[in-house]
Amino acid sequence: MSASLPEDLEEEVRELASKVLKLPKAKVTLEADLFTDLGVDSLLGVEIFAALDKKYGIDVPEGRLRDVHTIKDIARLVRELKK
Amino acid sequence: MTEDTSAYWRKLLALDQPLPADPLMNYHSWLFSFNHLIFFLFGLISRFWAPIEAIGAENVPIKPPYILCPNHLSIIDYGAVVLPLPGHIRQFLYPLATKHYYDNPLSGTIIKMSTRAVRIDTMEDFFPALRAAAQILRAGKSVYLNPEGTRSATGELLPFMVGVGVLAVELNVPVVPVYIKGTFEIMKPGEAKINPGPIYVAYGKPIDPGDYIKLKEKMQAYDVYKAFTEELRKRIKELSR
Repeated sequence: MSASLPEDLEEEVRELASKVLKLPKAKVTLEADLFTDLGVDSLLGVEIFAALDKKYGIDVPEGRLRDVHTIKDIARLVRELKK
Repeated sequence: MTEDTSAYWRKLLALDQPLPADPLMNYHSWLFSFNHLIFFLFGLISRFWAPIEAIGAENVPIKPPYILCPNHLSIIDYGAVVLPLPGHIRQFLYPLATKHYYDNPLSGTIIKMSTRAVRIDTMEDFFPALRAAAQILRAGKSVYLNPEGTRSATGELLPFMVGVGVLAVELNVPVVPVYIKGTFEIMKPGEAKINPGPIYVAYGKPIDPGDYIKLKEKMQAYDVYKAFTEELRKRIKELSR
């Protein structure tokens, strides 16, 4: 069952990303670059989308995974896909 | 966190899609009919200039599917790893070859003559490469891949890419760890010069992903793949000397 999007989606994505990445939430800021600042490799990045897919039922097209660099980008993409 | 996110990974690997009628068609070149001749020549060259000491070749399963995973030192690694094995293994072994070498007229011709190579583009997008490997394994064949993703510039073992763990765990296929030494000195990255010298190849016992598949109930999928990949790296390191 997929959830509808909360108003503070960015915060939820931060929460989820900090769990997936096993990093303190304070470090996972909206603007932090997933790859250079948080040390995410491409496949670990996929795990964030896997968790989003499970929670919100969004099907992220593979080609869009490369467009995402920050938590803000992820939240924007989730909103776009949920429209 | 006990999220099983493997459904998404399976979707990325297209594991729930039916296999095409001839899933291996793209990897069969008429040039491969020269593979016996090429390996005969490899054997001659090896005998005089690069003798191979092979340990544990009996650990490589006779029947596919499995993933053969050596460390990567030189473009001649494939020949050195496969030469000591029974010839029929070449018929069902599909190495992943980067487009840089596959598209080059000289190296590409040698690759097509000696292997059933799969052209991949790891820099642009690795998902098609993972899907191609998954399709080969689902078709009951074996895959040869370098988990480091690139040649080591120093001869030291590099960190491993997690893709091999994704394939092994999601397709439930064993992975054979292989350690190779000596090819770095024979042909260093960026050098066309060949320096004669000995090669050492050690084949380890296949790693069964069964225990890791069970772990997916307790851990997020990526961590399971990563743990499998770390075990593979450890096993290859143990084979070193």
